[in-house]
Amino acid sequence: MDFFLQQLTNGLAVGGIYALIALGYTMVYGVLKLINFAHGDLFTIGAFLGLSLLTSLGLTHHMGSFGVVVSLIVMVMCLVALVGVILDRLAYKPLRTSHRLSAVVSALGASIFFQNGIMLVYGAKLLVYPHDILPKMNVNILGLHIPLIRILILLASLLMMICLYVYINKTRIGTAIRAAAIDQGAARLMGINVDRVIMIVFMIGPALGGAAGLMVGLYYGQINFTMGWIYGLKAFTAAILGGIGNIPGAMVGGLLLGVIEALGAAYLSIAWKDAIAFCVLIVILIVRPTGILGERVAEKI
Amino acid sequence: MNKTLTVVLLLCFAAGSAMAAETIKIGLMAPLTGSWASEGKDMEQIVTLLAEETNKAGGLLGRQVEIISADDGGDPKTAALAAQRLSTQGVVAVIGTYGSSITEASQNIFDESEIVQVANGSTAIRLSEKGLKYFFRTSPRDDEQGKVAVKTILGMGFKKIAILHDNTTYSKGLADEAKTLLEKEKVKLVFFDALTPGERDYNTILTKIKADGPDVVFFTGYYPEAGLLLRQKMEMGWNVPFIGGDATNNPDLVKIAGKDAAKGFYFLSPPVPQDLPSREAKSFMAAYKKKYNGAPGSVWAVLSGDGFNVLAAAIKAAKATDSKAIADYLHKDLKDLPGLTGKISFDAKGDRVGDLYRVYVVDGDGNFLLQP
Amino acid sequence: MIRMWKTKRHFLYALWAVLLLASPAVLNPYWVDVLNLVGLYAILALSLNIILGHAGLFHMGHAAFYAVGAYTTAILNKQFGIPVLWLMPLSGLTAGLTALVVARPIIHLRGDYLLIVTIGFVEIIRIALINNVFGITGGANGIFGIDRPMIFGYKIRKPQEFFYLIWAFAALTVFFFHRLEQSRFGRALNFLREDDVAAEGSGIHTAHYKLIAFVIGAFWAGMVGTVYAAKMTIIAPESFNFWESVIMFMIVLLGGRGSIPGTILGAFLVIGLPEIFREFASARMLVFGAVMVIMMIFRTEGILPALPRSYPIGRLPDTGSDR
Repeated sequence: MDFFLQQLTNGLAVGGIYALIALGYTMVYGVLKLINFAHGDLFTIGAFLGLSLLTSLGLTHHMGSFGVVVSLIVMVMCLVALVGVILDRLAYKPLRTSHRLSAVVSALGASIFFQNGIMLVYGAKLLVYPHDILPKMNVNILGLHIPLIRILILLASLLMMICLYVYINKTRIGTAIRAAAIDQGAARLMGINVDRVIMIVFMIGPALGGAAGLMVGLYYGQINFTMGWIYGLKAFTAAILGGIGNIPGAMVGGLLLGVIEALGAAYLSIAWKDAIAFCVLIVILIVRPTGILGERVAEKI
Repeated sequence: MNKTLTVVLLLCFAAGSAMAAETIKIGLMAPLTGSWASEGKDMEQIVTLLAEETNKAGGLLGRQVEIISADDGGDPKTAALAAQRLSTQGVVAVIGTYGSSITEASQNIFDESEIVQVANGSTAIRLSEKGLKYFFRTSPRDDEQGKVAVKTILGMGFKKIAILHDNTTYSKGLADEAKTLLEKEKVKLVFFDALTPGERDYNTILTKIKADGPDVVFFTGYYPEAGLLLRQKMEMGWNVPFIGGDATNNPDLVKIAGKDAAKGFYFLSPPVPQDLPSREAKSFMAAYKKKYNGAPGSVWAVLSGDGFNVLAAAIKAAKATDSKAIADYLHKDLKDLPGLTGKISFDAKGDRVGDLYRVYVVDGDGNFLLQP
Repeated sequence: MIRMWKTKRHFLYALWAVLLLASPAVLNPYWVDVLNLVGLYAILALSLNIILGHAGLFHMGHAAFYAVGAYTTAILNKQFGIPVLWLMPLSGLTAGLTALVVARPIIHLRGDYLLIVTIGFVEIIRIALINNVFGITGGANGIFGIDRPMIFGYKIRKPQEFFYLIWAFAALTVFFFHRLEQSRFGRALNFLREDDVAAEGSGIHTAHYKLIAFVIGAFWAGMVGTVYAAKMTIIAPESFNFWESVIMFMIVLLGGRGSIPGTILGAFLVIGLPEIFREFASARMLVFGAVMVIMMIFRTEGILPALPRSYPIGRLPDTGSDR
């Protein structure tokens, strides 16, 4: 039982990161119906920018660890949001009226471009975040040893999700985003500046991805230019699992995927862990394509 | 018709290279892009440094050495193309590469073109079991490392062993070797599975291994994962000792794991130049530091440097750049050449002779200490 | 007007074909090998073209079928010593069967969902290969020591020899797929690509046709797998990852969806150009990515898009009345 609970918590902790990245995917997909393949690389950019900021600004000298983390998160989110907007302007906006497939290819191209750009700028070797920024305490819950940080990461993801949910559902801009997600043409007729809505979406989504990247860098310590690939794919699986276009869905999907992976690895086989995740994806798409929390949207013929 | 054409071309090349005032071209096949780009870049840096040093000292046989790099992308298909490319550029020999399947993709091409190949990072046993006359390697074989690993584990008195690998050719090969040898002994193998490289969170795996209760964990994968494993193991509060294979030998290991987590970690490795007392090793380190400001990161890249050294020695001694002469010299006459990683000789199959592996331990300050 | 353009195009194709056939005589083995690779990818892309270009199904898992074919050949050749060329149809068959099994449940999925599933599928295949599923795939090492192809006792070994084998296969492929394009089947595929529902309404059993498209594409890819295995003599899971699927996908899209000459041109560009720019290896991929984006923005239908279908309107048959 102990083993099971421990693995469960492991899964939840990883799932929290997946959820955060999935939120970004789901937002962009909801409004644009576009799979932003470059999202994983935005995650990577967040991690690398965080490291650059940390080392160049020497923040640890000026404030305590909490201050460092919060200021880093804010800075990275702003920077990655900027990158997201530029990405949209250059690679996606010109293709808004084209065939969906073109946008997908453009997204892939952007992903390749970012990944190799990071490699050229930062080098092919992996880089390491300085230790000692995050507290290393363990917390004892139900007799299990859980590092405090993992709980904090989970809480941070939850917090961001709640903020996002409130923003989307209770503010005017959020309503505009939801309207654009349902029908761009009708939204325009209602006087909504859809271009601006899309720009905002491309600020929030990538910002969340970048924050996730920063957290991964801070916690695990090690970053390299290919890290976005597998995280991106898993997060995308999570988004689909929960229902793409659906914000609580991304959260649920992320956590669920993390747990399924962890339990699958623990009880079945570690080597097949990723295959299990992909099988889950395929099963969900066959059995319930709109995901666990997704709404059934009738397609207009 | 094509066969004659190739022979004529080869003769022309041979005749051409025999003429003086031309450079001696040595090929370097390395992963300059792709997942092993950092290895490849290290290899290129080391070999170009050695070539420059050689040229400063007058070159080989009075001619300057030119290094021609070809990127194998860490992938067999690109490697085959890279090999084809090198074989048409008049190289007298090739150094490389890193990764057994990658090297394998290029072996036949070099053999058919009769070009000497000295691999530096390919430890799969079967590469030298094919009877290829022109193939050599400065890297040891997985079976040797397996033997040393098992000897070390038994010597330390461990009774319940866990083996963790990452499903790559090298890592699984080593893990299988160790497993076979351990099963003959009176110890119990409690865990044998693979992790996925490139992931970051290994808590699940560590929890699983911990539940099986081993005395020691032998990890045969690469240093990024090793560093993460050590770090996360410490966070879990689990104190079981870890032993690593030679791919864990990298200064970044301590950077990733943190000094506290890395303390007490054992690993096997051919000795790195920093730890060898020989003159060659010391002067190499000085030159490397001067040009690139730091120490070479990977022992495999250093082995490519040794590849250059043996080729240079062979060319000098045989007073020729012809492949047969080089191969003969390397097989028969090269004895205990002082290299960057120790003394080098080759056996009839092209494998490196001698006990190469040593045990290192990481101390509290993150230094790698060579054990006696 | 269209007829004039068609004749001009045909002349260009013929010219290019002649140049290609003559090239092994003038190029060194390295460049011949590059052309070999171009040829292999051209055939692969043509097989993907049926699925992606003609049927309009977003498919990014093509490398999986390629892998199945290559591994089938490798395993059967090593275990039973069956000559490689006989294994081509067999590998195609296993690949086609795989496609049937895999595509059946997902065929009705909407575009982007299908895309994701195919990505997941190719990853599963790769992991299964690495983990040495059923103990026959050799794990990460792959399988080595595959025989070279023998035609009437002549062993094909050198790049120049492979060149003719591969490009003969390519010519056959072009011929076959051209006939397919012009057939009723090809027209049905194009119809369901343009408008799924209308096609169904016109009596085309779309699920059935999509499945057949998948199977044909997979069958062909499986056969290419055989040639690849025989050429490299070793195959390893790394050669069949998602990235390979992306390359094939790119070739079809950049060259021109649904267009045979476009796809072949795409193969030349996507495979050949990076080899020409080998010196700029690190920036190579960066440029690749940027080119992808730019192409989609400025010329989304590809470089050599498919010509619209045209039918000769000759003299109307004499109906006896004055027209």
